[in-house]
Amino acid sequence: MRQQLRSRRAPTFPHGYRYRLDDQDEVNQNYLADEEEEAEEEARVMRVPNLEEEEKEEEQKEEEEGQGQPTGNTWWQKLQLMNEYLWDPEQRMSLARTGLILVIYFFFYASLAAVITVCMYTLFLTISAYMPTFTERVKPAGVMIRPFAHSLNFNFNVSEPDTWQHYVISLNGFLQGYNDSLQEEMNVDCPPGQYFIQDGNEDEDKKACQFKRSFLKNCSGLEDPTFGYSTGQPCILLKMNRIVGFRPELGDPVKVSCKVQRGDENDIRSIHYYPESASFDLRYYPYYGKLTHVNYTSPLVAMHFTDVVKNQAVPVQCQLKGKGIINDVINDHFVAAGTLHDAEEARASRM
Amino acid sequence: MAPGSACPLPPTPPPSRVLCCCTRWSSGHQEGEPSGQRGPAGPHTSAQRCQYCTLVLFQKTPEIYSVELNGTKDIDKTDKGDGKEKYRGLKNKPSNCKKNHQIQEIKEELDLNDHKLSNEDLEKKYGTNIITGLSSARAAELLARDGPNALSPPKETPETVKFLKQMVGGFSILLWIGAILCWVAYGIQYSNDPSSSLDNVYLGAVLVLVVILTGTFAYYQEAKSTNIIASFSKMIPQQALVIRDAEKKTIPSEQLVVGDIVEIKGGDQIPADIRLLSSQGCKVDNSSLTGESEPQVRSCDFTHDNPLETKNMCFYSTTCLEGVATGMVINTGDSTIIGQIASLASGVGDEKTPIAIEIEHFVHIVAGVSVSIGIIFFIITVSMKYPVLDSIIFLIGVIVANVPEGLLATVTVTLSLTAKRMAKKNCLVKNLEAVETLGSTSIICSDKTGTLTQNRMTVAHLWFDNQIFMADTSEDHSNQIFDQSSGTWTSLSKIITLCNRAEFKPGQENVPIMKKTVIGDASETALLKFSEVILGDVMEIRKRNRKVAEIPFNSTNKFQLSIHETDDPNDKRFLMVMKGAPERILEKCSTIMINGQEQPLDESRATFHTAYMELGGLGERVLGFCHLYLPADEFPETYSFDVDTMNFPTSNLCFVGLLSMIDPPRSTVPNAVTRCRSAGIKVIMVTGDHPITAKAIARNAGIISANSETVEDIAKCLNIAVEQVNKWDAKAAVVTGMELKDMSPEQLDELLANHSEIVFARTSPQQKLIIVEGCQRLGAVVAVTGDGVNDSPALKKADIGIAMGIAGSDAAKNAADMVLLDDNFASIVTGVEEGRLIFDNLKKTMAYTLTKNMAMVFPFMLYTIVGFPLPIATVTTLFIDLGTDIIPFIALAYEKAERDIMNRKPRHKKDRLVNKPLVLYSLLHVGVIVTLGAFVVYFTVYAQAGFRPSTLIGLRVKWEKDDVNDLEDSYGQEWTRYQRQYLEWTGYTAFFIAIMVQQIANLIIRKTRRNSIFQQGLFSNKVIWVGIASQIIIALILSYGLGSVTALNCTMLRVQYWFVALPYAILIWVYDEVRKLFIRLYPGGWWDKNMYY
Repeated sequence: MRQQLRSRRAPTFPHGYRYRLDDQDEVNQNYLADEEEEAEEEARVMRVPNLEEEEKEEEQKEEEEGQGQPTGNTWWQKLQLMNEYLWDPEQRMSLARTGLILVIYFFFYASLAAVITVCMYTLFLTISAYMPTFTERVKPAGVMIRPFAHSLNFNFNVSEPDTWQHYVISLNGFLQGYNDSLQEEMNVDCPPGQYFIQDGNEDEDKKACQFKRSFLKNCSGLEDPTFGYSTGQPCILLKMNRIVGFRPELGDPVKVSCKVQRGDENDIRSIHYYPESASFDLRYYPYYGKLTHVNYTSPLVAMHFTDVVKNQAVPVQCQLKGKGIINDVINDHFVAAGTLHDAEEARASRM
Repeated sequence: MAPGSACPLPPTPPPSRVLCCCTRWSSGHQEGEPSGQRGPAGPHTSAQRCQYCTLVLFQKTPEIYSVELNGTKDIDKTDKGDGKEKYRGLKNKPSNCKKNHQIQEIKEELDLNDHKLSNEDLEKKYGTNIITGLSSARAAELLARDGPNALSPPKETPETVKFLKQMVGGFSILLWIGAILCWVAYGIQYSNDPSSSLDNVYLGAVLVLVVILTGTFAYYQEAKSTNIIASFSKMIPQQALVIRDAEKKTIPSEQLVVGDIVEIKGGDQIPADIRLLSSQGCKVDNSSLTGESEPQVRSCDFTHDNPLETKNMCFYSTTCLEGVATGMVINTGDSTIIGQIASLASGVGDEKTPIAIEIEHFVHIVAGVSVSIGIIFFIITVSMKYPVLDSIIFLIGVIVANVPEGLLATVTVTLSLTAKRMAKKNCLVKNLEAVETLGSTSIICSDKTGTLTQNRMTVAHLWFDNQIFMADTSEDHSNQIFDQSSGTWTSLSKIITLCNRAEFKPGQENVPIMKKTVIGDASETALLKFSEVILGDVMEIRKRNRKVAEIPFNSTNKFQLSIHETDDPNDKRFLMVMKGAPERILEKCSTIMINGQEQPLDESRATFHTAYMELGGLGERVLGFCHLYLPADEFPETYSFDVDTMNFPTSNLCFVGLLSMIDPPRSTVPNAVTRCRSAGIKVIMVTGDHPITAKAIARNAGIISANSETVEDIAKCLNIAVEQVNKWDAKAAVVTGMELKDMSPEQLDELLANHSEIVFARTSPQQKLIIVEGCQRLGAVVAVTGDGVNDSPALKKADIGIAMGIAGSDAAKNAADMVLLDDNFASIVTGVEEGRLIFDNLKKTMAYTLTKNMAMVFPFMLYTIVGFPLPIATVTTLFIDLGTDIIPFIALAYEKAERDIMNRKPRHKKDRLVNKPLVLYSLLHVGVIVTLGAFVVYFTVYAQAGFRPSTLIGLRVKWEKDDVNDLEDSYGQEWTRYQRQYLEWTGYTAFFIAIMVQQIANLIIRKTRRNSIFQQGLFSNKVIWVGIASQIIIALILSYGLGSVTALNCTMLRVQYWFVALPYAILIWVYDEVRKLFIRLYPGGWWDKNMYY
C-alpha cells in the first residue's frame, strides 16, 4: 500500500541537503508519532552511506510498479493523486522532508499569527471601549415589544388562560428588573424632562435613572397580574433600543402613538398609555454603554388596549414621534416606525 | 521541354529528372531505376505488400453498364444497392479497428481497371461519347444519382451536442448539483413554511444562470474560432471545361459526373479522377497523392497495371503543370481515390490534447477538494445539530466558493487570444486546445521541400577559374559577393543568359525578381533569376544576341545548345553556347577558360573532377557550361544552321565553368532549428529526396549539426566499412525509406531513441506514419508537417498535425490541427514559443484563481463552526469569480515570457499544469494571507460598529433570528434584525473588497514565477493594469453604484475599509519576492523544488 502510494517523482535531493535533513530528524519526531514510520526512519539512517545505490533501486522498483499498475485513468489512481496532494507518502526522504516542511509551515504560520495579532491589537487600540466608533448602522433606534413572543400576532382566548399565560409570564419576567425596590436600591431618581448628563472620564462608572415598574400603572402587573389579558384588555410594552450617546431632541421627548394601520379606525376605540405622557423621558438619555452604565434601565411605554374589536384581526402600528427619529424606514418594521400590527388582537374570541 | 509529344508517341522521361542524373551521385544511384517509379517504397510497393487485404470498393462490373441506355432504372437500382453495400461494408468494420488497419486500406490498391480499357470500351461502360460528350439530360441524371463532385466535409459534431457539452463539462455539473440542491432545500422549506424566503431559489437560479452564461460564452468562443477556419478553407469554386451535347462548356467542377469528357490544361487542378484520351505534353504534379515531387508525364498509354502508376490516369486534386489533355471522368467526389483516403483519415478519432488533460486534471482537483470539503463540512454541521436543510445550504456554499466559475470560459478566451496571436505569426490553429500542444512538442517531423527549403531551385555554387564560388541563396539573392571581374565570369554569364529557354511571364514589372513567375522548368528558372539579379535585364541581352538556332534539352543528348549572333557589331562570329550534364559537356571540350583565357584542358581535368565531386557531394544539381565562337569564315552571317543534321561543330569546345543548384533552406530555418534544439525539441526531417540531397539540406538547415557525424561519415573518416562502425557512436543518422521498410518497430524505436539528429530520405508519405508512431511510442509529443493527401493519416495520428497553407491539400488541412499559412518551418518555432508561453500563463492563471479559494471557504467554516455572522455570502463570492477576477485572468495571458522559455526542455507529460507546489503555495501560503487580511477587515467593520470579535463567537444563532430585534452588542446597544442584516451585508462588502485588494497584489506577483517583478518590469504588461483597474471599478460599482440594490447584498462601504487589507497585499508581494529570490539563489535546491510551481 505504501509502496503504491509513493509519489512518482523520485526523491532527488542535492547531496548537501542530506546532512541538514538528518539534523531535522529530531524535530521530525515531534511530528511523527507513528511507530512504523519511526522504524523506517531508523532504517534510513543506517542505510545512508549507500544512498545512491538505493535511489537506483528505488527507480527500478518504481518502474516495475509503473508497469504493474493498470494505466487507465482509474478511480484508484485519482485517489492516489488526491492522496499525494493531501499527504506526501514518499518513503524515507519524505519523513525528513515532511518534517522540514512542517517546521517551515510552523514558522510561516507563527509569523502570520504574529502579524494578525499586531493588526488586531492595533485595531483594538483604535477602538474605544466605551464609545463605538460608528453608530450609523444601529441608528435610527429600533423598538421592541414585550411580551416577547416569537411572532407579532397576539392571538388569545380570554376564557382559555393557556392561550395567554405565556404572555403574562414573559411580561412578568421582563419587568423583574424594573421592580420598584430594585430600582430604588440601584438607581438614582433624577429630574425628569432633561438629559441626565454625567461628565467626567469615559471610564468612570455612570449612574442610571430609575424606571420603576409602578410607572406602568395598570400595565405594571402589580394590580392586575394578568396584564389585562384575562379581561381582553391586553397590555403591550414598547421599548426603544439602546444606542450609545443617543439623545432625543431637547424638550421634545420621543412619543409613542398607535393607530390602526389598515381598516376601520374604530376597531380600537381606546388605548391608554403609561406613563401617561406616552413618551420616553429625556432623563434616560444619553446611554453611556454597558461597561460604565451598568444599571441602565431602558424606559418603557405601556399600551393598554382597553377597547378593541374582538374576533377580528386588527393591525396596529405604533410609531415613535420625535425630532431626529426617522419613522418611515421601509425595510425595517422595528426601526422607529414601530411595531407593526403588534396588537393583532385577533380572535380574542369569547365565543 | 517535351514539345508536341502527343500520343501515341512513346513516353519521354521527365527531363528534369535527367538533369538530375548529371550529378555524380544520382547517376550512380538511379541507373537501375526506371524513371517514373521513384522510391522502392512508393505506393506501388506498399500496395503489393497489402495485396492480401484488397478491398473491393470500387469494382464496377462492366456487365451492369452494358445494358441498354433505356434500362437506366435498373442501373440505378443496382448501383444504389451497390452503394449501400459499400457503405455497410465500411460501417460493419469492427469498431475496435485500429488506425493501422485503416492505414492499410489507404495503402492498398484500388481495383480500378479503367486504365486498361480501350476508348471504345470506356465509351460503352460509361455510356458516353468521346467526341460529343454526355447529353445534358444524362449528366443531370447522373448528378442526381452520384451527388456533386466534391469531397464531403468531415463529419462534425452537431452544434447542439457541442453546446450541451459546454453545459455539462468542467465545473458545470457541480454547479447544476448545487442549483438543484438549492431548489430541493427551498422545496423542503416551503413544505414546512410557505412563507419561507426565496433566497435559495434565487441562489439556484443564479447558479444556473452562471452555468448557462459561461457555457454559452465558451461555446461562442469555440464557434468563433471554428468559423475562422471555415472561412479559410472555403475555396474559390473551380471551373472545368467539359464537352456536353457536343459543345465545350465551362461548368463548376462540382457538377461533373462520371462519363464527362473534360479538357485540362497547364495550371488546372484535375477536377476528378480522369482517364486520359489524348494528351499533348501533359505533365502532372502528383505530390499531393503520392508524395512524388517530380512532375510526371501523362499520355494516353496504358503503361502500368497499377492505376496510380499508369500514365493514362490523372487523379482528383493533383495539378496539371503544363500541356493539355482530354480525358473521361471515371470517378467523382468521395469515390475518387483522394476522396477515399480523405474519408478514411477523417474517421480516425481525435485524442485528447495535453491541455485538455491538464484542465481536466485541474477540474478534478478542484471538484475533488470542494466535494470532499463540502462533505466533511456536511458531516460536521450535521453532527453539530444543525438542521440537515441548513447543512445542505452550507454544502452548496462551500462548493460554490471553491469552484472558479468563470475560469473555464476565460481559459477558452485565453486560448483563442493566443490562437489569434499565432495566426498573426502565420500559424492558424484549428483546434483551440492545439495551441498548447505545440508548446509541449518534443519531436517535430518536418517535410523538407517547401517547409525547410524555399521550394525552388537556386544557384548555390559556381566553379570557374579553378575555384568554387558561393552564391547567395537567401530569399532575395541580394548579396552576391563572388568575384565578377574575371573574364571567365563574363563568358559564363553569357552562356547562362543565352542558353536558357525560360522567360518571365509578362506584366510583372513591379514584382521583385525573385517573386516573378517564370515559364520554364525549375533549373532554368533558377538560372534565369540568377542572371537577372546579377546582369540586369536578361530579355534585353537575349534580344541583342539574337538566337539563330537551338537544340532543346533531351534525355539522349543531355545537353542544351543554342547559337546566337553576338552583341558586338564588329564581331561577325556566331556564338554557340551549351549547357548540360558536366561529364557530357567536358567530353565535348578540348580547352578550358581560365581568367578569360582559353587554355588546354588537360591539366584542369583533375580540378574539374574534384570540384564536380565536391558540388555533387553537397547534394546539388550540377550543370556544365561551355561555348564556342564559330569562325566567321566557316560560318558567315547567312549560314543556315540545321539542328537536325547538326551542321556545326559540337566538339572541341571551350569549357567555361560549372554551376550547381539546390533548393536551399529558408534563411530563417537554421536559426529556427537551433532554437528548437536549445528548446529540447528534436527535429526530424522526412523527405522523399535522395539521401545525399537530404543530408546536405539537413546540414545547411542545422538539422544535422556541423560537428555531428553519421555512420557513413565515421566510416569514411576512419576508412573502415560502414558495418564496422558502432552505430551508436554516430549522433546523426540518415535513414532511407528502404532501410525503414526492413526495420522492426523495436529497431525503429532504438534508432529514434539513440540518434539525436535523424534524416529520413526517400520515404513515402505513408512511412511518415510509421515514424510518427515510433516517436509516440517513445512518449514524445509529436508535431508533423504535411501537405499531401497521403500525409493526412500521419497528421491525424500526430499529437499536432501541421498542414501547409500554400502547398497543402484540403485533405491535409482537414486532418491537421494547425495550418502554416506561409509553409515556413520557422513559424512552427514561433508557435512552439507561444504554446509554451500559454502553458506558463495558464499556470499563473490557475495559481491566481486557487489563491482566493481559501478566503472563500474559511468564512463558511468559521460561520458554521465558530458561529460568526456570515462573513461573505455565496452570491458575493460569485462577484469575485465572475466579476473582478475575469479580466485579470485574461490579462495574465498577455504576460511575456520569463527569459528562459525556449531554453528549457519540452514539458514532460507528468509536469502538470496544476502541480503540488502550485496548489500548496496558492492555498496554504498566499491563500492564508488573503484569508487573514480579509478577516481583519471583517473584524474591523464589526468591531467599529459595536461587535468586538469576542462577542461574535457563537453569535450566529441569535443573529439570524428574525424575531430578535434587540440583540445587544459589546457596548450594550441593541440591534434590530434589519440593522444586523445591513451590518452583515457591509461585512460581505468589506470582505469582498479585502479579497479584491489582495487579489491585486496576487495578480501582480503572478506575473512571474521565478524572476522578480522588477526584472520583468512592473508595467511590462499593460493589460495587467487594465485588469487591476477593472477590479477596482467593478468593486466601486458594486459598492457605491449598486449598493442600494438589496438583492446584491452590497452596501456603501466607508472609504477607510478599502485600505485595511492593503498591508496584507503588500505582505503578499514581499513574501512572493522573497520566495522568488530564494528560488533564484538556490536553483535546484529544496526551496526551488517545493516552492516553484
